[in-house]
Amino acid sequence: MTKRYWNIDLEEMMRAGVHFGHGTRKWNPRMAPYISAKRKGIHIINLTRTARFLSEACDLVFDAASRGKQFLIVGTKNKAADLVSRAAIRARCHYVNKKWLGGMLTNWSTTEKRLHKFRDLRTEQKTEGFHRLPKRDAAVLKRQLSRLETYLGGIKYMTGLPDIVIIIDQQEEYTALRECITLGIPTISLIDTNCNPDLADISIPANDDAIASIRFILNKLVFAICEGRSSYIQNS
Amino acid sequence: MATTSALSSLSSLSLHNTTSRITTSSRPTISFSFLKRPSSLTPLKASSDQTETIFFEDQNPEITANAVFDPPSPPEGFVPAPYFDEGADETEAEIATAYEELYGPAYSGESMLGKDVNVMDSKLKKGGGGGIGGQKPKKEKIRDGFEERVVQVRRVTKVVKGGKQLKFRAIVVVGDKQGNVGVGCAKAKEVVAAVQKSAIDARRNLVQVPMTKYLTFPHRSEGDYGAAKVMLRPASPGTGVIAGGAVRIVLEMAGVENALGKQLGSNNALNNARATLAAVQQMRQFKDVALERGIPMEELWK
Repeated sequence: MTKRYWNIDLEEMMRAGVHFGHGTRKWNPRMAPYISAKRKGIHIINLTRTARFLSEACDLVFDAASRGKQFLIVGTKNKAADLVSRAAIRARCHYVNKKWLGGMLTNWSTTEKRLHKFRDLRTEQKTEGFHRLPKRDAAVLKRQLSRLETYLGGIKYMTGLPDIVIIIDQQEEYTALRECITLGIPTISLIDTNCNPDLADISIPANDDAIASIRFILNKLVFAICEGRSSYIQNS
Repeated sequence: MATTSALSSLSSLSLHNTTSRITTSSRPTISFSFLKRPSSLTPLKASSDQTETIFFEDQNPEITANAVFDPPSPPEGFVPAPYFDEGADETEAEIATAYEELYGPAYSGESMLGKDVNVMDSKLKKGGGGGIGGQKPKKEKIRDGFEERVVQVRRVTKVVKGGKQLKFRAIVVVGDKQGNVGVGCAKAKEVVAAVQKSAIDARRNLVQVPMTKYLTFPHRSEGDYGAAKVMLRPASPGTGVIAGGAVRIVLEMAGVENALGKQLGSNNALNNARATLAAVQQMRQFKDVALERGIPMEELWK
């Protein structure tokens, strides 16, 4: 992996508030090497290390995208849901921004059946199949369709298990992380001061509460993915 | 040179124990092979001049403390790209087209580029019935070269308000006779279904048995699981497998020809089968130990 320039600016990170951790009482002592100070009852994350991890993550993601690997971005906090969907759409990746259904990856065969149903409902809706049914049946199917759209909307183009998974808040998405670990899928996750850094493959210590900080980190990763994709398209 | 320095920098950053991830061939994994895990490199580098044993050298906090962030200089004319939510919004059609170029129409239900929408159906029927855990209705008895043997089938009951609900619990040992075995346990309402389910479960956790050329173990070992304790001992050729019940079936499926085994703790079949797997997992071949310790094999026999 060659080191590339990702325009990671420490001042910009401070303005986005990436360095704020959670309260001192809620910390995970394994995060000690990444915490630089304690201020007003909040841990402050050491930004040089964050920057280093972020650049490594971007290198990895660029490499993977240039080999045509598939990504999945998982972020279900309601603050981050909108950001995740926009970031993933911009980077042409799969995403999960509503609740992560248990077994989405480990029970992929069942998830695939739901995706089949989703596809069939969509085709029926397009061919006006709903008008032919009685009103109650049509309403039931429409409700099913909207439900599938919210939960599976982001993965409707996913044909198999993803190659790399990016997780926004490790505490929140613990089930997703565990699934990736059992399946052996490499993960990149945003770690805050109350998370365990040893679980994910590349853990980026950052603030997961502030929208600005999530936006900043996602922006860098999305940029890396886009660059990798364009080099993949150029080469193939 | 650049790759090794990048790898070592990565290993110096991650405070990470990658030992718990066991990926076997039967599990649907995506091989992360373009980036070798750092921990797989360290055992083979044992050299005799390294007298001090530095454990977790790459996880030393001082080294991460000294990790300086020195990014390469920006290329000339570098313009930072706009954020992903700034910039013009794309229409739905553009997004759908872009996704479809990359992934195919998959499950979207509509195709912008005129491709076949039901492409996933044909793929499913053709290729991977057993690939990612899908069930084919018709199944071959022996698939993928693994033989299955049922250790125990028991009828178990769950008492509900209406009466007793019966199920069958099957314990199956799966193995090719070349050193890969697995034990699976599953329940279903019918015996056949339970046996099939547990065969699938067995294939999910396979264990490699280290065997010598005389089809026996390299050394004694004891393994326990729950209250079951199993002692395994190698034997000279011509002895056969001398062990009881579940232990015998596991060893036979592994392809071990000569061994002695004894159940020392409880007689529970499932726990004894799992205990033999545990015992076998602890065993090491002589050449692996010599490689790890960095000493010639003759030293191990003294």
